[in-house]
Amino acid sequence: MIGNRMNTTEELGEAGVIRIRWIPKYTAMERLFHWGHTVTFLALAATGMILFFPFLRPLAQGEGGQLVRLMHRAAAIPYGALPLIYVILEPRRAVLSLRSVFKVSRDDFEWIKGAMPYYLFGRHEAMAPQDRFNTGEKLNAVVIILGSVAFAITGLVMWFGKGIVPIGLYQAMVVMHDVSMVVTVSIFIVHFYLAVVHPMMWAGLVSMRFGVTSAAYAQEHHASWYYGPERAKEIYEARKAALAAEEEYPTD
Amino acid sequence: MSRVAMLIDESRCMGCRGCQVACKQWNDLPGEETTQRGSYENPPDLSPTTWTRVRFIEVVQGDSLQWLFLTHGCFHCGQPACVHVCPTGALKRDLTEGIITVEPDLCNGCGYCSQFCPFGIPRLDTDVLSGEGKAYKCNFCQDRVANGLLPACVKTCPSGAFDFGDREAMLAKGRARVEKLNQQGFPNANLYGEHELGGLGRLYVLKERPSLYGLPENPEYPVLANLWQDVLQPLGTLAFGAAALGVLGFYFLARRSVNMEDVE
Repeated sequence: MIGNRMNTTEELGEAGVIRIRWIPKYTAMERLFHWGHTVTFLALAATGMILFFPFLRPLAQGEGGQLVRLMHRAAAIPYGALPLIYVILEPRRAVLSLRSVFKVSRDDFEWIKGAMPYYLFGRHEAMAPQDRFNTGEKLNAVVIILGSVAFAITGLVMWFGKGIVPIGLYQAMVVMHDVSMVVTVSIFIVHFYLAVVHPMMWAGLVSMRFGVTSAAYAQEHHASWYYGPERAKEIYEARKAALAAEEEYPTD
Repeated sequence: MSRVAMLIDESRCMGCRGCQVACKQWNDLPGEETTQRGSYENPPDLSPTTWTRVRFIEVVQGDSLQWLFLTHGCFHCGQPACVHVCPTGALKRDLTEGIITVEPDLCNGCGYCSQFCPFGIPRLDTDVLSGEGKAYKCNFCQDRVANGLLPACVKTCPSGAFDFGDREAMLAKGRARVEKLNQQGFPNANLYGEHELGGLGRLYVLKERPSLYGLPENPEYPVLANLWQDVLQPLGTLAFGAAALGVLGFYFLARRSVNMEDVE
């Protein structure tokens, strides 16, 4: 293979056992926050959709419907509180993550160009170097963060503003709440697919469960994070050049 | 039976509030404790237990004070936004008579009806924190009407301000009355509700412009109700379907083309 593969720290040990160097990726707080937010998001989506989709109407009616609405409110409190609690507990890390999530560079566009062949056909000869979060993860995070802010604002108005705010505003809040739902649930379906279902994508789930990632995976998929941006760029350029050369003069 | 309507001739109303009391009696609604607000109008607003109410509008003309009365309540629109946005089907429009009712067993208290009604009619007794409760409004005494009786308010009115029956007949009566009022020195007299929102089931003969009675001159169907129910809902279904199907297709594509031995 080409590029940095020879630098991998996965090596055969004395007994022929593959040794993997695990490096920390997510703190315990980050993971607790992620899964807490996931559980409450799913609870909110399930109870919210009962009022959104006409075919779920039987579940929305009468006493059952009141319970559904109560559950939606009960889940909304931790959903809104968890990000705030996390930011209080790990403020520096939260700022760092937010900054990297909202940072857009040329690498993001190149990564998106390479994403289709990669995720569909497993071709990843030369993917633009990525930071701790790749472009796809960043896109998911941005949509969920903005969606959650919209949920919080519109949801609070819907909860406490009935009869207080003008009805035109209330109507707009209801519609925006549902727009946020459609957008975030759509991105969730994609996020779930890539994190859990996709045959190649097991590393992300392992990281979010145990907080670590293998050094080899980090070198390959999060080069900017592992090597730093300059070294990552060098490796990326070298690999692209090697690929071009191989195309011109195939070795086998 | 064809579509019904209630014709209320406000020029004949004397503000006795018999309709209010009859409504409470027939629908078994308790009275409300209220305080003196400096007006004969009482209670101050429609509520979960007050489905119809006489508004006392005080108009000062020169030195004299004039009272305008308006018996307020559900308008039973021909094109009801409340029914469109109700997620439970508790709000229904009877297709022959055009009466709009709330089925309390189905209502979950979400209150969308109250927020999308162009007249702000449905009232909720929901708890703010838990959201538990239900929506209430005038139902034209559908139980009475179905049995050939007049709504309680109509039956009780001593001044002959109320009329109830076939909508076309009510419109004809209303137009004739407006014409008479015009001749009697009320040039602004008008019939309210003939065309608004698919034609209202509650028609008013008014002596003055509707705005003077606190009625919207041109009540509008909330555009957002259509955007929400007719665009966003199908779009949402489509988006989730497309995302789920696309992901499934991608899964099989990836399964076939990815060499799993390469996967670290």
